[in-house]
Amino acid sequence: MTLTEDRIATAVAARMRDGVKTYGEGDTEVRALDGVSIDFEKGRFTAIMGPSGSGKSTLLHTLAGLDSLESGSTFIGEVDLTTLKDRPLTEIRRSKIGFVFQSFNLIPTLTAEENILLPLSIAGRAADPDWFATVVSTLDLDDRLSHRPSELSGGQQQRVAAARALVTKPEIVFADEPSGNLDTKSGAQLLDFMRRAVREFGQTIVMVTHDPVSASYADRVVFLEDGSVVGQMDNPTTESVIDYMKKLGA
Amino acid sequence: MLRASIKGLLAHKMRLAMTALSVVLGVAFVAGSFVFTDTIDATFNSLFSDVYAGVDATIRPDTDNPGTGEPSIEEGLLADILAVEGVDAAAGSVAGYAQIIDSEGVPIGGQGPPTLGFSWVDLPAVNSLRIAPENGRSPQAPNEVVIDVATSEANALSVGDLIDVQTENGLGEYEIVGLANFGTEDNLAGATLTVFTLDEAQRVFGLEGQFSSIDVIADPGVDQTDLLASLNSAVPSNLEVVSGEQQTQEALDDINEGLGFLGAALLAFAGVAVFVGAFVIQNTFRITVAQRTRELALLRAIGATGRQVTLSVLFEALVVGVFASALGVLAGVGVAGLIKAGMNSVGFGLPEGPLTLEPRTIIVSMLVGVVVTSVAAVLPALKAARIPPVAAMSAPAARVGRRPLRTRAIVGTIVTALGAGLMALGLIVENGSSLAMVGIGAVGVFLGMATLAPLVAVPFSRMISLPFRGITGDLARGNTARQPRRTASTASALMVGVALVAFVSIFAASVKASVTDTLDGAFPADLAFASTNFSVGVSPLALDAVSDLEEVEVVSAVRTGLVTIDDVEMNVVGVEPGTVGAVYNAEPSIPIEDLGSGLLVQSGILEANSWTVGDQIAIDYPSGEIVDTTIVGTYEDQTFANLMISDVTFLAHVGDDISIGFADLAAGVSLDEGVEAVDQALAEFPYIDVNTKSDQVAEAEAAVDQLVALFSGLLGLALVIAVLGIANTLALSIVERTSEIGLLRAVGMHRRQVRKMIRREAVITAVFGAVLGLVIGTTIGFGVISSLEGNGLQKFAIPAGQLVIWLVVAALAGVLAAVGPARKASRLDVLKAISYE
Repeated sequence: MTLTEDRIATAVAARMRDGVKTYGEGDTEVRALDGVSIDFEKGRFTAIMGPSGSGKSTLLHTLAGLDSLESGSTFIGEVDLTTLKDRPLTEIRRSKIGFVFQSFNLIPTLTAEENILLPLSIAGRAADPDWFATVVSTLDLDDRLSHRPSELSGGQQQRVAAARALVTKPEIVFADEPSGNLDTKSGAQLLDFMRRAVREFGQTIVMVTHDPVSASYADRVVFLEDGSVVGQMDNPTTESVIDYMKKLGA
Repeated sequence: MLRASIKGLLAHKMRLAMTALSVVLGVAFVAGSFVFTDTIDATFNSLFSDVYAGVDATIRPDTDNPGTGEPSIEEGLLADILAVEGVDAAAGSVAGYAQIIDSEGVPIGGQGPPTLGFSWVDLPAVNSLRIAPENGRSPQAPNEVVIDVATSEANALSVGDLIDVQTENGLGEYEIVGLANFGTEDNLAGATLTVFTLDEAQRVFGLEGQFSSIDVIADPGVDQTDLLASLNSAVPSNLEVVSGEQQTQEALDDINEGLGFLGAALLAFAGVAVFVGAFVIQNTFRITVAQRTRELALLRAIGATGRQVTLSVLFEALVVGVFASALGVLAGVGVAGLIKAGMNSVGFGLPEGPLTLEPRTIIVSMLVGVVVTSVAAVLPALKAARIPPVAAMSAPAARVGRRPLRTRAIVGTIVTALGAGLMALGLIVENGSSLAMVGIGAVGVFLGMATLAPLVAVPFSRMISLPFRGITGDLARGNTARQPRRTASTASALMVGVALVAFVSIFAASVKASVTDTLDGAFPADLAFASTNFSVGVSPLALDAVSDLEEVEVVSAVRTGLVTIDDVEMNVVGVEPGTVGAVYNAEPSIPIEDLGSGLLVQSGILEANSWTVGDQIAIDYPSGEIVDTTIVGTYEDQTFANLMISDVTFLAHVGDDISIGFADLAAGVSLDEGVEAVDQALAEFPYIDVNTKSDQVAEAEAAVDQLVALFSGLLGLALVIAVLGIANTLALSIVERTSEIGLLRAVGMHRRQVRKMIRREAVITAVFGAVLGLVIGTTIGFGVISSLEGNGLQKFAIPAGQLVIWLVVAALAGVLAAVGPARKASRLDVLKAISYE
């Protein structure tokens, strides 16, 4: 038993146990997370899907230490985030977690390069130059480094955000609808890159999306409804995800 | 539309409060200065009306009748007056200078309010002094005096104590037999009062057989005009008859002349406060309009006209203006109360009485507050009208604006140049409007520089933030550079305050340097002695006592007075030609011994009047004589501008009061020995202060320092308003950057780092404003001092240490301004901030 637990523990980048989170009170109470337990294995690209209000964003936020649980616990590696105060939690976000949001991803006064290096600058650390070069060239940002966000296209901005998420070599990257504000082509480019980061660099990514096409880039899809995990699917395709969702809806 | 404005206002109470506060402070000073002057007026009015209530008429020398010298009232006139029809009673009295000396030999009072001596009048109806039963009795014997209650309390003197009193006839010892009130007050505006018997008063004031004035009470039912007329026909033509009301009015005018400067100074500071406040208001409205772009665009999209949008912003300004001005008026009453209490605590005996709030005060203050607020909001309001409806649909991302700045550069340069030109003109020409020209010119310079400031905001923030390393420094720099106009506009409020304090510091330092320079160059004398009492000069007896000393080589008296030439008043100095050369180097063009009955003219004055040596000038002396005098030469030193005559001429036509005595010590006598000997020789004249040269420098510097401290304190108000402005801008820009700060927190920025970033932003802005202010203040200082070169300000000094202190103060002000906004930013809920739009 210990052997199995150990093996699982080392292979899991983030997990939640019995996570509960509610919004509102009385009649208007909404259970955003209703006792969720879930693991995210290292080196895999997981998509979280579900209709609006299913709790998928809350799941992402609590896993990333941006929001707190009412009961239950969340772990990044072996660190229990629910026990941490603001300061160590900030340290965890800085060193072990990467973020890509739907919008407001970049600091407008900083150049693309400065934005990418932001978490390291905040920590007062220098970047690994080889890794920085690898990330930048993989994301096709070499000739955009000195530009400010206002001089970049939406797709380029999201790729800068992705580079920023990867540059610290985090244990896990959380992405919240990363292609939500992008056109189809830019979105596909970004998702393709995220999949490559998982395949080529062994990165762990958890992504929230409501788009079956986006979800098809993942290794695994987790379906949420009314704050509970209602299903999972490995190696999804656009069609299989749509079929599954139809089934859920019915 | 109106409802939308009101809802918007209520939704942003904090913003409203911060903007309002800057208006409140300015208006409070406007209202305060009115309330203070009105209160002074009202309380003194009631005091004097009370004091002169019993007096129907007063006979006194006619001072407006020139050319007759100081007329006197012979004692015998009293009998004639009593015989005049309609006169019920009359009493004569004398008045003069009387300095009370405490048991340590130190004069009491006299540095400001006068030291007055009177004779006791045994006619209660016309006697303004009242002795309460428990406070003793009136003086009956030559060695008895009554003093005022306030002086007795302040110096722990009581009935039965012995005091020395200095008069022009020397020092005498008296017993206090009573303590008097002036009307209902303990004191008269800080003056010390000493009351003698009539005979003793006549003796000590050198008025034997004479009165200074005669007060008259009419028979019941006698018409005042008739009384004045019949009295007028009974008195010699060199005397005049005035009513009690006229005396009240004259006394009031005297008080107003003395305290009027305070009202004017307060108004000037109010002007500065309102001006600085206008910057803060304008900036706040500009930012809020930018932040409400989407909301205003939505209004436009659903059919509001641009005019309506403008009006809605102006309406908001109007509400803020009315609300804040009302508070400002209330605060102004408090300000006036504080000033009154402060003045009483340093010895100005202002009469008791409630603070006076005239309708005029309320109207003017409200008007100033509302108009300034509205005018400051006009530009942002017009800008709001230009927001296109489509802006409602687009994301309000924080823009990094780089709009063309050429128009700004041209307008700013023109306004600055016009302002500077007007100032220069005001400094060069000398007429009634020069001060106003300098003032308006300064406003122009400030507005012009504020317009130009955005052009240099970016390079300046780079430079100032050089010491700020790391990401917080980079971000702070980026934030101040991202909206140069906002940064510059925020800094401008501080710029005005710092420019003014820098100017005052530089002016003061230059005065100090000039004084030292003059004393070193022009006054070789070892010692100088002058009266500490404003109302009396150095007695000739004192001078004789000093010149008798064997430690003293030379003594020379300098007398100053006023004469009129071609209807222009000019300062004249009377020197002793035989001795003055040893104690005062005026750099004369001829040996000063050859002055004779001629006239020396300070060279600048000679030039200004296009006179030449050899001209005959008609001098109109205070004695009434007009004497044609030949200009025999010139002199350079400006300490005693504008004219120099010999002591003989001075004594004959001006008077005998000595302003300053100089003494040069004999060879081999040390300074300490000399001072001691002179001190002893002057023991009988406690009001005369003996100074060495370093004492004089220190004294002059102390006086200047006091002035600087006063000005800096009041200008501190401008700094307070500027700090409010910085805090307001920061708070607003944090709201704008909520999601940005959320992102920084999400990717791992600590709360402490967020606070540091905001603090650095504030410091960069504050130092930027301070540097601009220092540059402007120094430039204006240089201009003003250069233009005053002809008036004894020959040195331009920059007090580097003080200026650095102001810079540090500004930086600290920035830190202070950042406290609230930084705390707010660091406590943002990360999740909410990320999803904030």
